[in-house]
Formats: sequence, C-alpha cells, structure tokens
Amino acid sequence: MTQLLTIDRISKSYDGVLALNRVSLAVRKGIIKGLIGPNGAGKTTLFHLISGLESPTAGRISFGGVDITGKAPHEIAALGVGRTFQTIQTLGTMTVVENILAGMHTRVPGNFLSSGLWLPWIHKGERAALKEAKQILEFLGLLGRWKWSAMQLSFGQQKMLELGRAIAMRPRLLLLDEPAAGLTPAEVKKLSEKVCQLRGQGITIMVVEHHQGMVMEIADEVAVLHNGELIADDTPAAVKRDRRVIDAYLTGGGRGA
Amino acid sequence: MTPWIHIPQLLVTGITMGAVYALVALGFVTIVRASQIINFAQGEFVMLGGVLTFFFISGAGLPYPIAVLLAVILVTIIGLLLHLLVIYPLRKASALILIMATLGASIVLSNTSALLFGTLPKALPSFSGEQPLELGGVLIAPQSLWVLGATFSLLLALHLLSHRTLVGKAMEASSSDPLGADLAGISRNLMVFFAFGVSAAMGSIAGVLVTPLFYTSYNSGTLLGLKGFIAAVLGGWGKNNGAILGGFALGIVESLSVAFIPAGYKDGVAFVVLLLILYFRPKGILGSPFIDSRRW
Amino acid sequence: MVAENKNEFRKRDLFLTGALWLISLILPDPHLPYRREFLKKRDFVYLGVLVLLPVIWPGSLFLMGLAGIYAIVALGLSLFLGYAGQISLGHAAFFGIGAYTSAILTTRYGIPTVGAFFASAAAAAACAYLIGKPILKLKGYFLALATLGFGEIFLVIVREARDLTGGVSGIFGVPWFSVAGFAFDTSLKQYCLIWGVLIGLILFAKNLVRSKMGRALLAVAASEDAAASVGIDVARIKIGVFVISAAFAGLAGSLFAGVISTASPDAFGLGLSVLMVMMVIMGGMGTLYGPIFAAIFLTWLTDSLGAYQEYSLPIFGVIFILLLIFFPDGIATRLNTRLIYLISYWGRKRRRERIDQ
Repeated sequence: MTQLLTIDRISKSYDGVLALNRVSLAVRKGIIKGLIGPNGAGKTTLFHLISGLESPTAGRISFGGVDITGKAPHEIAALGVGRTFQTIQTLGTMTVVENILAGMHTRVPGNFLSSGLWLPWIHKGERAALKEAKQILEFLGLLGRWKWSAMQLSFGQQKMLELGRAIAMRPRLLLLDEPAAGLTPAEVKKLSEKVCQLRGQGITIMVVEHHQGMVMEIADEVAVLHNGELIADDTPAAVKRDRRVIDAYLTGGGRGA
Repeated sequence: MTPWIHIPQLLVTGITMGAVYALVALGFVTIVRASQIINFAQGEFVMLGGVLTFFFISGAGLPYPIAVLLAVILVTIIGLLLHLLVIYPLRKASALILIMATLGASIVLSNTSALLFGTLPKALPSFSGEQPLELGGVLIAPQSLWVLGATFSLLLALHLLSHRTLVGKAMEASSSDPLGADLAGISRNLMVFFAFGVSAAMGSIAGVLVTPLFYTSYNSGTLLGLKGFIAAVLGGWGKNNGAILGGFALGIVESLSVAFIPAGYKDGVAFVVLLLILYFRPKGILGSPFIDSRRW
Repeated sequence: MVAENKNEFRKRDLFLTGALWLISLILPDPHLPYRREFLKKRDFVYLGVLVLLPVIWPGSLFLMGLAGIYAIVALGLSLFLGYAGQISLGHAAFFGIGAYTSAILTTRYGIPTVGAFFASAAAAAACAYLIGKPILKLKGYFLALATLGFGEIFLVIVREARDLTGGVSGIFGVPWFSVAGFAFDTSLKQYCLIWGVLIGLILFAKNLVRSKMGRALLAVAASEDAAASVGIDVARIKIGVFVISAAFAGLAGSLFAGVISTASPDAFGLGLSVLMVMMVIMGGMGTLYGPIFAAIFLTWLTDSLGAYQEYSLPIFGVIFILLLIFFPDGIATRLNTRLIYLISYWGRKRRRERIDQ
C-alpha cells in the first residue's frame, strides 16, 4: 500500500489565528480523496500548503517519498502536483489552447535562448505539445473552441479549462479546489465523469467540495475538517453516519471563510 | 578637517529639507488614502506654489500675503482640475495607465510653467528677514523655523480634518473600506476630488515656504516630487505620521551624506534609500496598512 | 542632425505615418487567435512595408533610423511590459548604459564597434540581472518606482563620474559603426544597419513569443499563482525577460552612439523611459509589431512638435494624456475595432433592410 501523499501533523497559524491544528492524513495512490467541512475549516489552506503557496508553521508534508515542506510552488508542481483554484484563475488573456499548453510548461523543452533561436528540438517539441493539447481539449469537450480567447468561455467551460491546464501537467496528484462550485447540475455530472476517468488513468485526486452529492458519489475516502482539525477520515458511507461530522455541519461553530 | 565637524550644520539643513519632503509626502499620502492613486504630479504643485507667488509679486505687483493666498488658491484649483480632466476619466483604468497619466500631467504642468514664466529660477523674500539666528555655533535661517512650524501646523490641521470634520471622516471611510463607504452614500469620486484639492493646497504652501530658502524653477518639481514619494514610502506607506517621519529621515540622511561622499551624488542618495527600503522593508519604518506582507 | 527643408515634411509625414497605421489595421488583427503561425503572408507585408518606407519618402532616412533604434528598445520593453505585464520606468538607463559602454570602449580603448556592440548588450544585461534580483519581487506602483529610482541613480552616476563618462557634456567623437572595414557613415547605410538589426530581433522575439517562454510570460502576467502551479518559476521568468529587454535596449544604445556620435546624459532621462512605455501601451500590450509602429509614430510626433519649440513639450504632454484616456488598449486595438465596425456597416445595413421588408 503506497502512500502518495503524507501530511504529518501540519499546523498553520496566521498572526495568531490557528487555521490548521496538527492535521495528519494520507492519500493512497490511485484513489479519489474527498476533503469536506464547513466554511473556514481550513480546506483551501491545506491545499495551499500542499501546493506550496504557503508554508506550514509546523509539521511535514511528503509527496512520493520526497519531503516537500516549504518548497516553492513551481518546484512542487514539477514533482507532479497539479491543482485548480477556488477563485478560478484561467489565463484570460491567452487562448484556450494556450492555456492547456501553459500547463505543459515543464514537459516542453526550451529556455529563453533556445526558444528565441527556434532550434530544431524546440520546433519538434512545440508540434508534439500542440497535438497533445488538442487531445486534452477533446477529452474536455472544448476542442471546437481551441482558438477562442479564454475570456470568451462560459464559467463552466473555464472551470473545465483550468482542469485541463492541470491535467496537461500529467500530474501524479491532482488537487481540485471546489471544482463544482457554480456549475449547473448537468455540468456537475459531466465533471464527475471526467474526474472518474482521470482516476482510471492512474491519477490520484484530492477534491475539496461542498457539493455533498458529488463527493459522496465519486470519492473512495473522505476526510472531514472542522475548525482546523481533522474529525473524520473514512469511507463516504461511514463519514455520512459519523456523529461528529453531522454535528459540525448542523451546529456550525466554524470561523467565517 | 574631518567631516564630523560639519554635522550639526548639516543636521539643520537636513531638518529643513526634511520638513519640505514631509509636506510633499503628506500630499502623496492624502491622495493615496482616498484612492490608491500615486500622483506623480505632486511635486509640480510645490513648484507652482513658488512660481505663481513670484509671478503675482513681481508680475502683478501684489503684496506678499495676497500673492501667497492667490497662488495657493490657484494651485488648489489646478489640483481639482487635474482630477476632473485626467483622473476622473481614467477612474476605471489600470495602475499603469494612471501612473502614465499623472506623469503626463507632470510634464504638462512643468513645461507650461516654463512657457509662461520662463526658465530662470525664482526666489522669494523670507517671511521674517534674512538675518540668520545663531544657536550653539550653528546658523539657522528664520525661514527654516517657518517651514518647520508650518509642517506641524499642517499635520495638525490634517488630523483635525480627518477626525473632526464630516468631510474628513468621509475621506477616511472611503479609503479604509471603499465599498462600505459607497453603500453609506459617500461618493468615492468626490472624496478623491477633495483629496486632490487638499493635496494641491498643501503642496503649494510647501512651495511658498521653501522658495525663500532654495530657488524654485520649472523643473524643480519633478525631483522634489520623487523625493517626497520616497519619504512617504520610507516612513510607512499610507500613514500621515509615516510621511512626516520619512520626510525628516530622508532629509537628514541626504544632508549628512554630503559629509561623506562627493556632493554631486547627493541626489542619488534618495534613490539608493528607496531601493534599500523597497528591498528590506517595503512597509516602511512605521508599517503600512496597504501592503500585504505575504505577497511582497 | 537636422534634415534640410524640415517644414516640407511636417504635414506629409504625419499623413503618411497615419496611413501606414491604418494599413496595418486593415490587415487581419495581429492578435492572432492562436499566436503560433510564423512568417505568414501578413508578416512579409509588415516587414516589407517597414523596410521599404524610406523609398516611399526619401529624406526621412535619418529619422527612420532613429525610429528604428527606439523601436528596438520598444520591442524589448514590449516583452517585459506588454507580455509579462511588469512595469519599468527606467529602461532609458539600459539604453544609456549601452550607449556609454560603446562610446567608452570605442573612444578610449579603441575596441572595434562590433565588439562594443555586443559588449553593450552584455553590460546592460548584467546591470539588469543585478538590479532585477531584488526589484522584481515588487509589484505595480512599487516596481515602477524602483525602476524609476534605478534610472535616476544611473543619471546621477553618469553626471558625476566625469573621468569615465565625460560628466554632463558627455563623450564626443564616437566613431561610425563599422564591420570589417565597411563603415556605416551615411544615413542610408545606417538605416539598413539599424533596421537589419531590428528585423533580426523581431524574428527572435517572435520565436520567443510563440514558444513556451512566450506562454510563460503571458501566464505570469495573467496569474502568478496559476503560473507557479504549473511549474513556471515566476522569479526566473521575470528576471529572464527583464535581462532580455535590457539587452535589446543596450544594443539600441550602441547603435545610437554609433549614429549620433555622442553620448550625453540628457538623452537618457525619465522622459525617454516614459516615452518608451508609451510606445508599448499605444502599440498595444501583447503585440510585437504594435510597439514598433508606435515607435515610428511617436518619433515622428516628437520631431514634428519640435518645430514648435517651447510649446512642444506641453502639447506633447496633453496629447499623451488624451491618448491614454481614449486609447488605453493601444491605438491599434481601438481603431481596429472601429474600422471593422465601419467596414461591416454596409453588410449589417443590407441585412437590416432585408429583415424590415
């Protein structure tokens, strides 16, 4: 049983406010792990810590056997961790296909000098990248709009695009931060299908979500955060029945988002 | 003759200059508190204060106090016009465009001044005579005392404005929480409008005060504006107290540097200070409500 | 430095520049839907027009040469500002570093101009690297200010280090640019040299923009968090593009010194930095040809206004502000949309009539 991601007693405090308190959890390879909890529980903070946008106050995170605590976000990404954002960060000034190609940054050859001179291997790399980008767009159902400016896509399509950008990295671990927020029920269904297909391709996925239906349906395991603490980490069925989880959601008591 | 002997006299010059920088810095901070805009034309308000007073005295033959009053009023109007004609049309534009626009305004103001009033430096008579006071071996021009006095008076006036008058409180509200203030019926644009007026008035007063000590000419505004801005950043970006502190700090550092490095490099000192501060502590000495430390 | 019969050129030249601009707009939008295609027919038209310009109006050679030099700086700056979205108000300093490096090396140490040419780029690049590391952490206003501060420090140093730089008066007698004995001493030869270099740099920039580095630049401008999340080392990208844009400016500076034969501090102040940023904004952020055409346009504008002597600067400032208010996305983008709207008017009118019937 290989643990792809190990979070060991992570704590994060902002100027005295304790956002995460000695949270420990592990993610096995090849599963979909849901991360739920009331607003302000610390879910997005945890994602920021894993992806490197923030450093933990205490504790260690290790990914694929490598200690990634405190590493820079681009280093962590290069190791194979992709993510989407709660406040969607599509590269609006670029075209749809360029968004996907941007995701392939670490896999396409080139630096400033060699790109400027357009050396032969740059050319080959670009051609291959374009082909793959179009395949990803087809998977997402956006191929028809590949030349569009990303700004012109609808909200749901932009979320798909951001997912595509993360997929383009060929990550080993994919962190999805509220991917269903703001989507219509049909779009949520489509998203769930895609995420399951990704699991089928061997990608390990962690999903922060409020959409209980979606999470319970697709997740293999679910972890529950409340007030910065882990209160449950089990199969979806068990979590649904867990007394403490029900209390947390019903009585609230969480900090504001 | 070691350089240390000159220190006390240099301190006096430094404090005087520092007061000027403090006033210019206050002007920047007033606008920034209302609108997050940096007005690169701030230095021109100072320049115009001095140049217009000179014009009213020598060109129109008006008595000193009237000339000063008229100049301050005129520069205030110019500041308000600057808002109406340049800032307001660009209220939705990006930071870059606004920077460029205020730089453009600075070019227009300084060169129009050269056009209308000539390029020769202007001087004004000191308020209370030329005789320097002597204090423990150090010479102090009485004008310096006027400058210091005016700086603290203006600081006090600003404080009263922000905390005691309705308009001032509205401006404060608008800067701390633009959306909230908007919902409470405070028009953001109007607040920025006033801020430009107040800022221009302060700048022109600074110009009138300082011209008797150091000449003013059409191009002195740019450098003064930059140094005032550096002072504001140094002291704590966005705080009135920071502007004052930064102004004096910069003035003293700059003045003292002359004792240790060739005089020609003096103007560069301010910019070196700027780079150091931006690198080590962008919030400034007193800290800043506007800068998010996580992202700097 | 003054062309003969200046007055003849005033109206005709402004008209021709404007016509050129409109032509560039009628051709399909340089904001390619997908930026990749290289050397399309469109590129040949642009490049051809740029190269053949002096044939259309002779006597403009010197000014077009100067415009070409500024265009090189604008091109580099457009990568930093237009693509990567970072503000620099100090690029005139890199231009000046290039000019002074060339001037000093050729007059004091007798180094051939070609060597000095590359040394200028290296000097500017090195300074950019040193300054960039601490400064590029800043954003927005503060980056603008830090670069401005750097520009001013450069000027102060140049004015004070009289032994090295000739102080306020500068360095005279910089030799003409020459390669293996062939000297570029006439306006025509200089024009070819400058625009040859520019075209080479355009090709380089185009390659850069259509490769993954170009996407990285745009990504950094759009969202640094998103860029970092896909493995883009944001700090490295920013420094890289800063150094490249400085190198371009350094090359331009070297050409400048070789053409004007002097190097003096007045030419490299805040005004020039602001002018170059204007070229990028007016040309259109995120395009390469835009800033080049804007460089030509603004060089002409400053030259034409020069005839009005002391009125020229205030007028220029006013035009500046008006351009910013009415064309914040760049003249090309706004006029382009309007032109397309105009051209499509007849089609829409006919359709409306058909519907009404």
